[in-house]
Amino acid sequence: MPVVAAGDASLHVVHLGARGGRVVMLHGLLLGNVATWYFGVGPRLAADHRVVLYDLRGHGRSSRPATGYDLPTMAADLGAVIGEDPDPVDLVGHSFGGLVALRYALDHPERVRRIVLVEAPSPPGAPSEITSFLDQDPEAMVAALPPGLRDAVAGGRRQARRLVEHLAQLATTTSVLADLAALSAFDPQALATLHHPVLCVVGARSSCVEAGGGYAAAIPGARLEVLDGGHYLHLDQPDALAACVEAFLDG
Amino acid sequence: MTETTLDAVAGMIAVVMGDELVDEPITMETSFAEDLELESIEFVALAEQVQARWGDAVDFTGWLAGKSLDEVIGLTVGDLVEHVDSCLS
Repeated sequence: MPVVAAGDASLHVVHLGARGGRVVMLHGLLLGNVATWYFGVGPRLAADHRVVLYDLRGHGRSSRPATGYDLPTMAADLGAVIGEDPDPVDLVGHSFGGLVALRYALDHPERVRRIVLVEAPSPPGAPSEITSFLDQDPEAMVAALPPGLRDAVAGGRRQARRLVEHLAQLATTTSVLADLAALSAFDPQALATLHHPVLCVVGARSSCVEAGGGYAAAIPGARLEVLDGGHYLHLDQPDALAACVEAFLDG
Repeated sequence: MTETTLDAVAGMIAVVMGDELVDEPITMETSFAEDLELESIEFVALAEQVQARWGDAVDFTGWLAGKSLDEVIGLTVGDLVEHVDSCLS
């Protein structure tokens, strides 16, 4: 299992595809892991790109340090995954993963070529959404899950039990919720300095529609694409999402 | 040949799932999601085992790229074994 050392974390990395420019894909907090992009979008992009997926700290098969779930630390984690290769990379991030990509691009603009933000939330909306998610009664919590997980939880299956264990471990043994609560919105003036081609993709039925429009408006030249779906676009519209990311990266 | 690959894949599943492996024997008909209740992240780990064992001879990424999410969820051990065998033959 390929692992990259990043400060106090060891990050599980998956490589797909053998030729083309590097595309590093980031998943969202709590429910995400490398599987977010491993099925559907990642393999499609891997036909013409060297795709790099990794588990954020505390997620999937990466280690779970007690702290460091803030954007600067997680952007530094991304830097460790990108490594020494000086060629700029494309970044594709879902949800909070998009915020990590943005933070990294603002800190190291020369290391980044293009950015795709899929369903990026606008802090402090993100933490309140997540804490309100965790505060819901179990039934409402299940209803808010992506379709595959919802079915698994409703069936009381092993996957559901392990998901709940993962969330409980993250919430009780790490600073993830406190770090989220401390998250502040990006400074629009900083976003205005980004010179990278940026694509913002949102689901028409997601609460992140407005945030996506906000990023597209704040980042010079950024494009906004609205797909028919919710927050988990990679599950709702895998083909449409793959096609639109592919077209952007090949354009 | 098929039997050997099935044994190998069954061994990899045992490594990935550890002591959570179901008691039933793993057959060609065993489904990853329904029977083994494998998590998607565990399926990724299984793919890594396949790659570690057979390397680039087995194209896992291209195989997945042609499948819808529903097809991936419906995959059986036999589907994987047959894919491995077709790559190695």
